[in-house]
Amino acid sequence: MISKIKKRKRSMKRSKEVRLQLTSMMDMFTIILVFLLKTYSTQGQLINPSDDLTLPTSITQQAPQLGLDVTISSDWILVNGKAVEKTANINKFDGYIIPSLRKELNNYAQKAEEMQARYGAEYSGKVTIQGDKNLPYKLLIKVMATCGQSNFPNLRLVVYQKEV
Amino acid sequence: MAHRPSKIMKHDIDEMHVNITPMMNLMVVLIPLLLSSAEFVRLGIIELNLPPAASGEKAEIEKEIPEEQLKELDLTVTITDQGFFISSSLAVLAGDEADKPSIPMQNGQYDFDKLTENLYELKMKAESKFSDTDEIIIMAESDITYQTIVKTMDASRQTEIDGKEFTLFPNVSFSARIY
Repeated sequence: MISKIKKRKRSMKRSKEVRLQLTSMMDMFTIILVFLLKTYSTQGQLINPSDDLTLPTSITQQAPQLGLDVTISSDWILVNGKAVEKTANINKFDGYIIPSLRKELNNYAQKAEEMQARYGAEYSGKVTIQGDKNLPYKLLIKVMATCGQSNFPNLRLVVYQKEV
Repeated sequence: MAHRPSKIMKHDIDEMHVNITPMMNLMVVLIPLLLSSAEFVRLGIIELNLPPAASGEKAEIEKEIPEEQLKELDLTVTITDQGFFISSSLAVLAGDEADKPSIPMQNGQYDFDKLTENLYELKMKAESKFSDTDEIIIMAESDITYQTIVKTMDASRQTEIDGKEFTLFPNVSFSARIY
């Protein structure tokens, strides 16, 4: 009888000494940490993709650059996040120039040129175009033509890079 | 008699513990931080440089170039809902019949591999004969989607020959004549 109690006491003492096994969790964390550090980009995101559109995929290897941001979503055309024209209205215009977009872009070009004259900030005429992958060509060509006519001749089409 | 391991030694090893709790703390902080700043989709860009709007001086510049180099290829790929039409100053690549696309669609899909193949042959023929062997003009019908145009640009930009990258026609211009 006494020996039984002793045995139980000993086993209780033993169970107190058992620690949480963290080693396997540490292994896992180390692997995740290395993976995340590898994918960490010091550049940060220069372009924020809009929520309501899916960009097309391409095999291009060129990294994004900073520039004026023109977004063609299914509802609106936005310049630097500011809505300029309803996408549905574009088909109404004759010719390739969208007047409201042109006005907005010219404003930006003017500002950029002023900046160049005053502070020497380089004006490159770069514009990044984000368009939904299902956008018809006639819409795209109108926006591109308007950009070209509004002192922004260097177009950059934003795409998802395909994994090679 | 088999060797019996020492009880004292066994006891010692059992008691050894590295204190990894501070390291755990570090991990718990670092992982959410890196996760929040990780990029999961990689964005890229396709460069298109339009000529500046003013072009009054262009005619004078062209005069200085020797006569032989003035020949231009004027390679044009037209995307229609039936397939690709390829035309250049060398020849119009005809399909099997007249008025049929040079590269018809395959099972309702555009045949980009064939396009790359044809453009490679064209590049080989045109190289050193024309002044604009890097340029391509892309035209499309008004309802062709953006994704198709981007894929066409991809197909005409470069190809892989024997594992090496080979540049075809990287300078893309758009034309809207058809629309």
